[in-house]
Amino acid sequence: MHDKIRAAFGEIHAEEDLKAQTRAYLARQAPGHRRRISGRMRLVPALACFLLVLLAGWGGYHTYFTPSAIISIDVNPSLELGVNRFDKVVSVEGYNEDGAALATAVDVKYMDYAQALVRILDSDAFAPYTSEQASVSIAVFGSDEQKSSEMLSQVEACTAGYTNTHCYADTMEVASAAHAAGLSCGKYRAYLELHELDPSVTPADIQGMTMREIRDRIAALSGSSDAVQTQGTGVSAGNGHHGRGMGNGRGKGHHAQEP
Amino acid sequence: MRNEQEVNEAIERYADTVRRLCMLHLKNHADTEDIFQTVFLKYALHTEPFADAGHEKAWLIRVTINACKDLLKSFFRSRTVSLDEVLEQPAALAPDHREVVEAVLSLPQKYRDVIYLHYYEGYSAPEIGRILGKNVNTVYTLLGRAKQQLREALGGEGDA
Repeated sequence: MHDKIRAAFGEIHAEEDLKAQTRAYLARQAPGHRRRISGRMRLVPALACFLLVLLAGWGGYHTYFTPSAIISIDVNPSLELGVNRFDKVVSVEGYNEDGAALATAVDVKYMDYAQALVRILDSDAFAPYTSEQASVSIAVFGSDEQKSSEMLSQVEACTAGYTNTHCYADTMEVASAAHAAGLSCGKYRAYLELHELDPSVTPADIQGMTMREIRDRIAALSGSSDAVQTQGTGVSAGNGHHGRGMGNGRGKGHHAQEP
Repeated sequence: MRNEQEVNEAIERYADTVRRLCMLHLKNHADTEDIFQTVFLKYALHTEPFADAGHEKAWLIRVTINACKDLLKSFFRSRTVSLDEVLEQPAALAPDHREVVEAVLSLPQKYRDVIYLHYYEGYSAPEIGRILGKNVNTVYTLLGRAKQQLREALGGEGDA
């Protein structure tokens, strides 16, 4: 019986088409069985997805919280608003004691920069600096010239009702140089102007001066008529000077464009 | 997961064994195809190494028998088959062999596996017990009764 069973079952073979169908099925079901994937390797796609989500989150965070432009407000308080590409204020930094106090007093973070500017200018904390004698400098610094120009127009529109305001735009390089010198961007621009007339002036000297004092010194050094004009225009015009120094890198020429 | 070459080699080595086990349990070609696909896909996905060829073969036999039982238990499986289909494979055999295979297939299901594993594959009762997950004494009992019935079916021929 043993031999008979062996002989009988030995005659039974798997058909070639059955084997071929099985191979075809496996190729369809498991195209990846060409490679041996260990248990640890199975975590790779999950890990990749996790990293992707992390990267997207970090990218979004970075995009939102990286300022693409800076609005520097200088009177005596020196305040800088970091504005992201969505026109939102993402950082507020005071560059001197008054500036720091103003930054604490007025919360403008995550506001549209135009609204933020109006809120600061209208705030009680800013009121002491808006006397007729004060000189308010508002500068836009950005790497994109067109964007900076648009922002400057917006800033000019926002400050149209205020006296003694002085608006202009410049490049991010100037902003970087200003921060390297420990000054706010607006003060640094004024420093450059003054430094051209009086090379003995240092950033440290500028640090403690108000914008009015700097402007007066510039006016005094460049000629008395300018001093009269600067002061006079600011008060009588009710809006002050608006100029565009974009791209000159040294801040020259904005007075030439005064009305 | 095993690579394509490993799986193809396994198909060449064990396809006949899987086919014979299918014949012992199933009654049509479509079910046999299903079992082939199930068994070799499990083999492809089985990453733990086998101790030796014998271990690998025993694993495949166990997986095949379990897959056949699962298929037979399946609610959705058609439960009616034609007589021609039942005898499809033995019909292609020589008359003597056909008689033996039909005699084995005529045995109750529980006897067919032990007869095949013992007489054809040459496994001992303890080995059959490990493969089928049965007690050795149960295997001995099943083997004894199966032999008895087979002898009667084949006209009282003695055991080899």
